Amino acid sequence: MKQFRNMALPYIVWSAVMIILPMLLIVMYAFTQKGNDVLTFRITLQNFVRFFSDPIFLEVLKRSLWVAVLTTALCLFLGYPVAYIIAQADGRKKMLLVLLITIPMWINMLVRTYAWVGILQDKGLINTILGWFGLGPVSLIYTDFAVILGMVYNFIPFMILQIYTSLTKMDKSYLEAASDLGANKIQSFLRITLPLSLPGVLSGITLVFLPAVSSFFIPKMLGGGQYVLIGNVIESQFLTSGNWNFGSAISLIMAVLIMISLYITKKVDKNGQSEGGK
Amino acid sequence: MKKLIQFKNIVKEFDGQLVLKGINLDIYENEFVTLLGPSGCGKTTLLRILGGFLSPDEGQVLFDGTDICDLPPYKREINTVFQKYALFPNMNVYDNVAFGLKIKKEPKDVIEQKVKRMLKLVGLEDYGQRRVNEMSGGQQQRVAIARALVNEPAVLLLDEPLGALDLKLRKEMQHELKKIQQEVGITFVFVTHDQEEALTMSDKIVVLKDGEIQQIGTPTDIYNEPANEFVARFIGESNIIDGVMVQDKEVVFEDKHFACMDAGFAPNEKVDVVIRPEDLDIVPKEQGKLKGVVKSVLFKGVHYETIVETRSGTSITVTMHVSEGKPVVNTEAGEKMSANDFYLDIEDIAELNEAGIIARADAQAWDATTEDWISIHKVEYEIKPEIGTYPVTFSTKAGTMVSAQMFVREANRIASKEYEEEIYAVNFFKKVDEIKESMALETDLRTWANASAWSLEDDSAVEITEVEYDFNAETIEPGDYKVTFKTEGYEYMVDTTDKHEVGEVVGLLFGPEDLHIMSKKGSY
Repeated sequence: MKQFRNMALPYIVWSAVMIILPMLLIVMYAFTQKGNDVLTFRITLQNFVRFFSDPIFLEVLKRSLWVAVLTTALCLFLGYPVAYIIAQADGRKKMLLVLLITIPMWINMLVRTYAWVGILQDKGLINTILGWFGLGPVSLIYTDFAVILGMVYNFIPFMILQIYTSLTKMDKSYLEAASDLGANKIQSFLRITLPLSLPGVLSGITLVFLPAVSSFFIPKMLGGGQYVLIGNVIESQFLTSGNWNFGSAISLIMAVLIMISLYITKKVDKNGQSEGGK
Repeated sequence: MKKLIQFKNIVKEFDGQLVLKGINLDIYENEFVTLLGPSGCGKTTLLRILGGFLSPDEGQVLFDGTDICDLPPYKREINTVFQKYALFPNMNVYDNVAFGLKIKKEPKDVIEQKVKRMLKLVGLEDYGQRRVNEMSGGQQQRVAIARALVNEPAVLLLDEPLGALDLKLRKEMQHELKKIQQEVGITFVFVTHDQEEALTMSDKIVVLKDGEIQQIGTPTDIYNEPANEFVARFIGESNIIDGVMVQDKEVVFEDKHFACMDAGFAPNEKVDVVIRPEDLDIVPKEQGKLKGVVKSVLFKGVHYETIVETRSGTSITVTMHVSEGKPVVNTEAGEKMSANDFYLDIEDIAELNEAGIIARADAQAWDATTEDWISIHKVEYEIKPEIGTYPVTFSTKAGTMVSAQMFVREANRIASKEYEEEIYAVNFFKKVDEIKESMALETDLRTWANASAWSLEDDSAVEITEVEYDFNAETIEPGDYKVTFKTEGYEYMVDTTDKHEVGEVVGLLFGPEDLHIMSKKGSY
């Protein structure tokens, strides 16, 4: 075993440099004032005070959370039936459907989002078709609808695949047993399938909520310049305003929020299990 | 008793393969019925059709007189204990058992009463709040039984429910299941491949094979009067001897006439005679109805399983010529070479070729220092399809040469009328080293002598069960040795309490009631 432990050493060094160090730098920036150099630290909480005392930022945070929750909920309600149908399909059909879900993920997210710009814009695909029937034009792009659509479109495969996996892992004999004990299809689903697929649902929620809450280029491209989410604020602090300290502080606040939500998810998961599950 | 379930000509096919070939079976109220058979016999398929998880391609399943084929499982008055229990992992023991009652929307206090009573019946009254996967296999088994029984079904189906338990627990659960069945007084349909389990628990056993019922009867019926050879062998190890029924109550086997209790066969009909090992007695040879030699004795815990051979099988003896046989050495080329003389059947000469000669002579050439194999370049021989001795010379490219003799003889085979079989082997030449280096001597002797045996009726292979020889492979010297190959003879397995010596000549005693005659046709 010893020699294997030594083999892990380069990886440990790599992780320290590439993962832990940047994190520490973010923490350092968040708690210091602008204009530091390596030698002089001016430790301060000013960045955090600024964020929580400015109603604009809080408004943006609230909106970001709301968009993320809405996206996650939509992904869940649209994704669960899809996952269920795929899990029920047999052999070749199942493979084909899983493939159809995964293929878009092979293409860069940015490119796919650009495609939606083309579809939704004022002279885009939808409005052109509507124009043939003498309808529209409807303004689609740069609305809440467009942003949510873009997010759901980009993140729903994560939800579907997680739920699909937990559904296929489930032993079919549970359903036979439920049917044997008098449960019809709906009852079997509600009492057996749904509770047993909860772990998949929870990891699906995590996988969708995390990128949704911090996404910045989907709102930028589909929501337009005025549509600001917390991801956009962080981005602009780093890239346009050049205030790395404030950007780092917001990132840190987001990280804490995400950690809290992960903790709650875990807790819910545990409770689900202590009812008698695995 | 009332007929509760009737299977009428059930046929089921999977991927073009007939799994059930027209099953007709009646199951009565309060019966403990066991479907017994080897894996793949269709027993589980039949059970799943009754449970409603499969529908038959043809035929009807009548429950209390009405066809239930189109009824989904949840509408049947039948509950199942699944092979791997299928307890719901997201619920505790109590909720698992209460599942069916909650679905039926029974009042809460009624549910509680019933669940508690059922947990008590299976001896788990204190385990209600346990998680199911924290329980042992035996406990999970009990929960599964309670979960099914709490719904007060008319029939309980059990699909190999004891298969996953260890031997001791399985025995315990067998008794417990029987007890529970008597207590609740409903029909149990039990599926197993374990004949002992079937014999101890059932009121009625249904033996299945390849989707067909072989026999239906009580455990005693099935054990004592198996309908055919398959049932006899499946139910327990048994002696099954070919015989002829000369007339009612008289059977001939081993050329002797014996009285038996069976009647109703055609005159001189060929039959199988079944004698259970425990029905045979070993007595001094002059008192026995048959005489034989003890071949082996195995201690089985409570008794000895003694094999007595009344007639030895077909045998053939060949001579093995062993020589010192040092290889030919070619110092110039640095090569060594060897070959053996060999015997050849006159009828094989027509098909003889170089490769065949090299193989028979076991001709080899190798590098003297590296021991790498060198291919044989040339085989020179002249042979006529007549009895005689012919030389053959093998040589390599480098010019190393070795010669051997080919002895052409009539085929050496012996036929046995008694067993309708024939055995064949040839004399052969070997070197001391080859015998000393043999890893599996009996197999090698069979290969070297080309020994084989076959049935004269249908040419199917007959196993050579014994190889006898009179030398010690470790210390063998050049010379001639006898090797004998033998097929299996008439052997009887006898369960005895006394230990007999191998080689002892003994008599076998049995009464007319110990002979069970079965038709060769195989139907019941």
